[in-house]
Amino acid sequence: MPEHNDFAPPELIKDKGSLHPINHMKDSIMDLLTSFGFEIIDGPEIETEEFNFDMLNIKKSHPARQMHDTFYVENKSNLLRTHTSPVQIRGMLEKKPPLAFISGGKVYRKDDDATHLPMFHQVEGIYVDENISFAQLKDLIYKIIYSLFGDDVELRFRPSYFPFTEPSAEVDILSKEGKWLEILGCGLVNPVVLENCNIDSNTYSGLAFGLGIERIAMLKHGVTDIREFYKSNLDFLCQFK
Amino acid sequence: MKIAYRHLVQHIQESPSIECISNKLFQLGHEHEINGDILDMEFTPNRGDCLSINGLLRDLAVFYKVDLKQEIFTEKVNELQLDFENLSENICPKISFLKLEIDQVPETYKNSLDNYFLDLGLNKNNFFTDVSNYLSYETGQPTHCYDASAMTGKLLFHEIEKNEEFETLLDKKITLTGKNSVFSLNHHVINLAGVVGGKSTSCSTDTKTVIVECAFFQPEQIIGKSVKYDIQSESSHKFERGVDPESHEKVLRRFIKLVKEHTNIIDMSIASYEYKDNPIHQIPVNVHKINQIIGINITENEYLNYLSKLKFDIDKGIIKVPSFRSDVKTQNDLAEEVARVIGYDNIPTSEISIPKNEKTNHKDLENKLRFFLLDHGFYEVINSPFVSLPAEKAIKVDNPLDSNREYLRTNIQNSLVENLLFNERRQKDSIKLFEISDVYSSNNGINKKRKLSIIASGKVGINYEDFSKKINKKYLMKLFKEILPNEVFNFEIVSRDLLDTKIKNEIVALEVDINSFSFDTLSYKEISQLPKSFAQYVPISELPSSFKDISYSIKDYSKAQELQDLLLNYKSDILKNVYIFDYFKNEKQEEIKIGFRFTFQSKKATLNSAEIELVYTDIVAKSLNISGISIPGM
Repeated sequence: MPEHNDFAPPELIKDKGSLHPINHMKDSIMDLLTSFGFEIIDGPEIETEEFNFDMLNIKKSHPARQMHDTFYVENKSNLLRTHTSPVQIRGMLEKKPPLAFISGGKVYRKDDDATHLPMFHQVEGIYVDENISFAQLKDLIYKIIYSLFGDDVELRFRPSYFPFTEPSAEVDILSKEGKWLEILGCGLVNPVVLENCNIDSNTYSGLAFGLGIERIAMLKHGVTDIREFYKSNLDFLCQFK
Repeated sequence: MKIAYRHLVQHIQESPSIECISNKLFQLGHEHEINGDILDMEFTPNRGDCLSINGLLRDLAVFYKVDLKQEIFTEKVNELQLDFENLSENICPKISFLKLEIDQVPETYKNSLDNYFLDLGLNKNNFFTDVSNYLSYETGQPTHCYDASAMTGKLLFHEIEKNEEFETLLDKKITLTGKNSVFSLNHHVINLAGVVGGKSTSCSTDTKTVIVECAFFQPEQIIGKSVKYDIQSESSHKFERGVDPESHEKVLRRFIKLVKEHTNIIDMSIASYEYKDNPIHQIPVNVHKINQIIGINITENEYLNYLSKLKFDIDKGIIKVPSFRSDVKTQNDLAEEVARVIGYDNIPTSEISIPKNEKTNHKDLENKLRFFLLDHGFYEVINSPFVSLPAEKAIKVDNPLDSNREYLRTNIQNSLVENLLFNERRQKDSIKLFEISDVYSSNNGINKKRKLSIIASGKVGINYEDFSKKINKKYLMKLFKEILPNEVFNFEIVSRDLLDTKIKNEIVALEVDINSFSFDTLSYKEISQLPKSFAQYVPISELPSSFKDISYSIKDYSKAQELQDLLLNYKSDILKNVYIFDYFKNEKQEEIKIGFRFTFQSKKATLNSAEIELVYTDIVAKSLNISGISIPGM
């Protein structure tokens, strides 16, 4: 027997859990945006057509309003929000400019395949003040992208179309493999939307942007199949501590 | 939409390369991929005017000298006497018909018509339909060809609301339901307007006399029809996005010219019906506003020059929007035009400063709860709200993806039970999950509740203190008392009777309305923190795992650490993890007993016992090389 037989017990490892990687990503982006000055607001996932479409200048004839794109509930009296933008409408109706809101959460679209799910997550932001320009929107987007992907990431702005913004843009980043990947949509708030929210569009203008959380989480974590996020597999979840 | 590079470049004086054109198209907002000499375009829904060679060239004209080499028939054409009535002028405010008779159907095609089929690898149909399809590609205006010999009687355009069988020219029989805009002949539908023509009046390879219909339909009347009847239609794609209402004369004269290039025309006549003027949209010139919107400083001359190149007319301080640009109505729309021409990436940034918001994050308390659960080994999950079975007050989805997703869940617990069983089937013996979500029900309107749901079963933990302890109500109640001492929690035992499982561990669950908590008492100081970086995911194996336990007796305490270092760091492709599940120090016998659990799993194939035995034997041999260590019973 050894003379000094003292031994510290093995380290007692208490297994900690983890946040869901999508919620973690959403929280990280929301934290970043609140540090820029945005205030977090919430809204319901079951919305009216008025808030989800009409107030956002999405016409009755827009394809997104068809039954094959949007989930309607309770005999078409309501719908599952297709984006988090209606939360901003509610915010603009409640408060006077200047205002800067972000909202994040679940949204629903009638898709189900290897790259799309009927439920996914978005974070959207809006800033309304006097003399907001596209050049300022670009500055904000650069700050967001650099914070998320590093200062050395290459990005580009492409003209796009959203009924609630004009001009509208989509932003891509260049992947390590040399492919352009779409990261977010943005634009100057369409004056029609401001007027719908009783904001004088001659005095005020606004910028808005929206990010798909799953897409960014997939890029950041290297997950290639979006469905992995929602299997609740502990072998998957324990990798994101 | 596929567009051949050479069909574009033949009209551009500078003859730019496909890469140069591609760069300019991206700058203008026209996404695409290049496949050889083909540009596979994807246009935003507001730019229906670009769905053609000419449409794209109109946009590219801001960068290049575009000279359209498309001749039209310029001579006088007789007026067509057609027995036609439009009962829905609001849906179709403008329509024209061309009747053409040829002496011989051409066997081969020439020039641009031939190139169209050759370069895009398209199948030919019949002469008139082929000309029509090409013309749609060239001009963006769909036309429909009727075999004139089948067109006897009164032609009617109207909106109907009755069920009617209709056989399309694609040999597909559909039943029209609800409201539809159609062309009828002798009370029978012969054309679903803007979507697809009927078989009874379609042209064939023998057709020598054709009636070509060239119309403008209100986009909202066409939208959704091709999806509803499951018809792939290039025409409806264009009509849904809006075509140029002022193009009919030019398009039909181009039709004549193309036919004339291939055969002799015996007779031709045109009838045009315009029921409503197409108003020219006018916007005042205001370069200050444009500069303000974009955040630049261009002169009025520069501004108007950009617009002129995009075919906007400027007259006495007023900008007249061309008829093909139904998407341009406001100063913001014009600002987007200018920004596209300059290039979004070429617009310099301007520092933005948003006033700091002093408000607290209203979810701080909820987050505290989440971190408390994390600290105690719970994993957060997110589940779909769609379920198959209706619960009391459940909200029904009018148009579910399938019958398994017809309702919205009224509780989270059922989802967590599914998650638990999923993980038990993967040999997990300590499962602790939670989800926080809004849950909706219908009770005199929509009710929303923010709920926390937790579920736990199996071992309390996988360390030597918790390994032999089983999760039960008492364990969880003690846990929650720590964070919310003044709350009473009704933990529930979920019965396994109806679950598809042979595992006997108790399932403990809790579901509460978060807003009912008195958060004043929540003073928990969390240990866990958000990860500083984003972990790189390692693909997981769906193959079965198995485990082996080894218990060691250590008489020479000084060797215990060496054993741990060896086993906890042991590497093998099939060793998934290793942990200490048992530790006991017997003071009397001066002996330490340590139990290690080894979990084996492959990413390639189900492991057989020999493969596991090979690694196991190596582990045993290496560990027994350490003096003073033994495996009782071995």
